Amino acid sequence: MGLFDSMGISASGLSAERTRMDVTAENLANAQTTRTAAGGPYRRKEVVLAQEPGSFGSTLAAQVKVQAIVQDGSAPRMEYDPSNPDADAQGYVAMPNVDTVAEMVDLITEQRSYEANTTAMDTAKAMFGKTLDILR
Amino acid sequence: MDVFDTTQIALGRAMEGAAQRQTVLAGNLANANTAGYVRRDVDFTSTLRDALKADDPDKALEDATFSETTDPGAVQGDGNGVDLDTESSALAQNGLLYQSLASVLRTRNAILEDAIGGSH
Repeated sequence: MGLFDSMGISASGLSAERTRMDVTAENLANAQTTRTAAGGPYRRKEVVLAQEPGSFGSTLAAQVKVQAIVQDGSAPRMEYDPSNPDADAQGYVAMPNVDTVAEMVDLITEQRSYEANTTAMDTAKAMFGKTLDILR
Repeated sequence: MDVFDTTQIALGRAMEGAAQRQTVLAGNLANANTAGYVRRDVDFTSTLRDALKADDPDKALEDATFSETTDPGAVQGDGNGVDLDTESSALAQNGLLYQSLASVLRTRNAILEDAIGGSH
């Protein structure tokens, strides 16, 4: 039924935004990581979202799903720090391609989107409550 | 007069329409960050307005289906057409409309029950 679908869709949005927040947190936490299992500095990750048409009868309404978590292929930031054990012969250290300010901005967007989805779910709940009131 | 008059049918159908719109708007919000997503909407009010003008409004109301539209108009840089603020306010409005429809329906039911002599 319509309103249950609506709550499922909002739940998919909540889960997608939480995943994006997890990845942004990982990027921020590793903003200075110069050693990874794959070798070289940490590379920033990004979440790719895709719409997923649900089985909602006649409606076009679509859920959202996390399609992939991809690595940002841009070049590492080279920082001059000869005393660093990971410095190359010229004294440069390959640092992660994470821009902390951009990550913080992403984090705000994700938080707002998460809130929008909780609001949508609250609305569906209020509508449900009102429907049940008819029966009283 | 039938027990379920035109207004009662219209109220029920409008609630259906609002529930469908809630689902579609929730989908828009969930996809607010999906690249290439085109926003959708349901215009159930104009469908019902037309049905009420028909020769047999009761039947027209019951047969009415609410078509969904896609709105590729406003698009941001990532090809996404969802504006969080517009969408949230549409969602709030739609939710309040649904709740007021439900209240009216409940009141009308109470009046009917009074007339029948039942208790509620």
